[in-house]
Amino acid sequence: MTSRSSERFGKWLVSAPPLAYLLFFFAIPTLIMVLASFRTPGEFGGLSPLIEDGKLDFNLDSYVRFFTESVYAQIFVKSVWYALLTTLFCLLLAYPLAALIARSPKKYRDLLLLLVILPFWSNFLIRVYAWMIILGPNAAMARVVNGVLAWFGHEPVPLLFSSFAVLVCLVYVHLPFMVLPLYANLEKHDQALLDAAQDLGANGWQRFWRITFPLSLPGVYAGAALVFIPALGIFAIPDILGGPEDSLIGNVIKQQFLETRDWPFGSVLSIVLTVAALVLAGLAAWVGRSQLGTRSSGALGRA
Amino acid sequence: MRRRRVALCAAAAAGYAFLYVPLIIVVVYSFNNSRLNAEWVGFTLDWYDKLFHNQEMLAAAGNSLIIALVASLVSTVLGTMAGVAMYRYKTRLLPILVLTPIAIPEILMGVSLLIFFVLLNFTLGLASVALAHIAFCIGFVAIVVRARLAGMDESLTEAARDCGATPWEAFRYVTLPLIMPGVIAGALMAFTLSIDDFVITFFTAGAGTVTLPLQIYSMIKIAVTPEVNAVSTLLMLLTLALIVIASRLTPSLLRSD
Amino acid sequence: MKRLALLLASLLLASVLSPAAAKDQLHLYNWNNYIAPETVKRFEDSCKCEVVQTYYSDNEELLAKLAAGARGYDILVPTSNAVQPLIKGGQLKQIDKAQLPNLKNIDPAYLNTPFDPGNKYSVPYAMSLTVIGYNDQKIKELGLPTDTWAVVFEPKYLEKIKGRVTVLDSSSELFAAALKYLGYSANDVDEAQWKQAADLIKKAKPYWAAFNASSYIKELTVGNIWLVHGYSNDIFQANLDAQAAKRPFHILHGLPKEGAVLAVDNMVIHKDAPRPDLAHKFMNFMLEGKNSAELTNLIGSGNPNMDALQYIKPDIRKNPAIFPDKAMTSKLEQLKDLTTAQRRVRNRMWTEIKAGR
Repeated sequence: MTSRSSERFGKWLVSAPPLAYLLFFFAIPTLIMVLASFRTPGEFGGLSPLIEDGKLDFNLDSYVRFFTESVYAQIFVKSVWYALLTTLFCLLLAYPLAALIARSPKKYRDLLLLLVILPFWSNFLIRVYAWMIILGPNAAMARVVNGVLAWFGHEPVPLLFSSFAVLVCLVYVHLPFMVLPLYANLEKHDQALLDAAQDLGANGWQRFWRITFPLSLPGVYAGAALVFIPALGIFAIPDILGGPEDSLIGNVIKQQFLETRDWPFGSVLSIVLTVAALVLAGLAAWVGRSQLGTRSSGALGRA
Repeated sequence: MRRRRVALCAAAAAGYAFLYVPLIIVVVYSFNNSRLNAEWVGFTLDWYDKLFHNQEMLAAAGNSLIIALVASLVSTVLGTMAGVAMYRYKTRLLPILVLTPIAIPEILMGVSLLIFFVLLNFTLGLASVALAHIAFCIGFVAIVVRARLAGMDESLTEAARDCGATPWEAFRYVTLPLIMPGVIAGALMAFTLSIDDFVITFFTAGAGTVTLPLQIYSMIKIAVTPEVNAVSTLLMLLTLALIVIASRLTPSLLRSD
Repeated sequence: MKRLALLLASLLLASVLSPAAAKDQLHLYNWNNYIAPETVKRFEDSCKCEVVQTYYSDNEELLAKLAAGARGYDILVPTSNAVQPLIKGGQLKQIDKAQLPNLKNIDPAYLNTPFDPGNKYSVPYAMSLTVIGYNDQKIKELGLPTDTWAVVFEPKYLEKIKGRVTVLDSSSELFAAALKYLGYSANDVDEAQWKQAADLIKKAKPYWAAFNASSYIKELTVGNIWLVHGYSNDIFQANLDAQAAKRPFHILHGLPKEGAVLAVDNMVIHKDAPRPDLAHKFMNFMLEGKNSAELTNLIGSGNPNMDALQYIKPDIRKNPAIFPDKAMTSKLEQLKDLTTAQRRVRNRMWTEIKAGR
């Protein structure tokens, strides 16, 4: 076997199984629903028959609706904003965690990593309920915050059923998905590089900003993608502890499939959401690749 | 050097505190003498007792565990393959197929899979749920593995090939150990996603299939009693124990040295 | 690696080879905690079969799942406005009344409804009202009325309880309450009147803590929330919980004089039910007064079964929110299902309310 054909064989061997699985169990089902966005909702739920009275059920009504009724776009923009904030705070919290675990002696690493993910094997709902207890109006946190505010003459602010509660919970729920990719990347950083830089006179901040951070960018982008994209579509958290203004696009999409029984419109909103998420992720990756090229090439050699 | 170490430890400790304060509440409230998960009333072991007599809840927990194990195993294997493929060979279709399940709203994916399974006349049950979970977990594993590979030193693999290793041997003995932390991270994520999934599971579960999230979410309108806290605490401990046992059984596989 | 694989394989095998049920099975798809465990056990003994329960927490979830083609369920328990689309969508099997001698126990007022004339498909199971629930200590302190929707919609009352009120996160329920308050029917489909209701809601929204259908009972019991727009059996349960936690207040029902929504849940049989014979047995069993009463005693749900009244606890029997008197009953309305076009308009209005426009 020549090296070229074994190369191609290797490519097929490695990419075919996941490709086949996703094509069959994801692409085809999703295609059904994407096509549904061009149909009319069934009067009693589901979709109208595909061919009725000899006419194919195909129209752009739902798309037109999305582009003419601007309230949906407005909520969409709000969701992007929430997702961005969530990603940012996740990054700020996760980086020290991932760095600490990566730098720990090998025998503690697995344990520390497990400790990060252990809370997330409890059920989502009771974790959110635990936050409701922490943020409740009679709990310590609210009393302290409102005590301070009262000292400044400000009226008490609810912590629960507010955007603050939604954001805190969003960050909490997505944190491990930022920690794990960051850790996977930081773990392979060579301490020798940092020692060499220190010997050359770089201080702590310079070592971080010029060496560690650029090298960790693939991990940062992976974590950001794994937080931003799911956060965009979340609905359970606003449902349980959001205020009256905290409805996100995920809630609206859920309503289309349940309350309103308008699957085509739900499909349209989902497609817009998915495309937007993929485009933003693609943009970030493209920016990341060009940055990675200029920052960490050449002089760092063995990256 | 020491000052930075302290600052790092402090920041990381804050992170761990953020992660664990709610969890401590979850565990502590499993002993709460009140039906509601809202305020501490008194200490009791009743809920654990109730749990052990609650066949439904225990069966649901068991189902969740089985599905999560199968789904995380298969999706880790497929996801690692996808991650390697995406990194090494510039495929066009695979990245999109891998990222989209993460982006797509769960309710759409759940409904579409249900319609698909019904079209195929596939009986819904544990298997349909596992198949659905694998579909959305693959992406998470693939992205982490690819991030781990980014900047990987290809010269090591080339050297192995030059020394006469077949592609499989090069992968098994050189690449795989190097990406193992990424694979483990991906597997942990996949397991977490599967064990806690509600929406997709709701639509793809069969007429007698109950997983823990399905059971618990159905209680949302009445009361999520401390029995749920109890089963969550036990499930966490059980999973932790399983992982510790697994890592003892396969120390060479999981270590990255 | 090999040992790990072996462990996993054996787990899988164990799950697949678990003893196939030799017993007959009845698949019941129901709300959680909507049947007393003792009742289930007695039925299983009487029919020598096994009841396999799966749960949903919202009519719409049930409808979505069935619309996508899910099968395998025998009995479902949808609310009346969900029975409508199920019947029209051909999802239900007709009932064989000959197998239901106990049907005579049901109060005729709840039979022969517009959505199922002649009860060809459905049999009433249990009911609830959507009313006001309140913390008696706090609300009396503030001197607020509890027999009118005004306390939920009027800023002059709301400003005293700002941030301490929740309403249901359901467009149909909230619009129904608003329409009733404005003097219209809860099933009104005039867009102009919907607009009025939407404006009323938007004016009141800044004073509300949340739109919440799930955790409001908890918050009411703990004392964080003082007034809710909620279901009568939830409010009943909240009071029980408050007493159990030895709180200084009670959670009481407030019956609005403008009227309220009545939700009747019904037993129906799915068109592809694997065991319609067992399904009929179950229905007949639940139509017995004694069995029907057990649910009421458990969760404080309303009961359309005349034979059940003698078995119901006196304090529940006397509760006007669970067993409303004639005056209140005349002001109750069951919600009707909307057409697709109407649902779209309603959803746009609802989204605008939620988006703060």
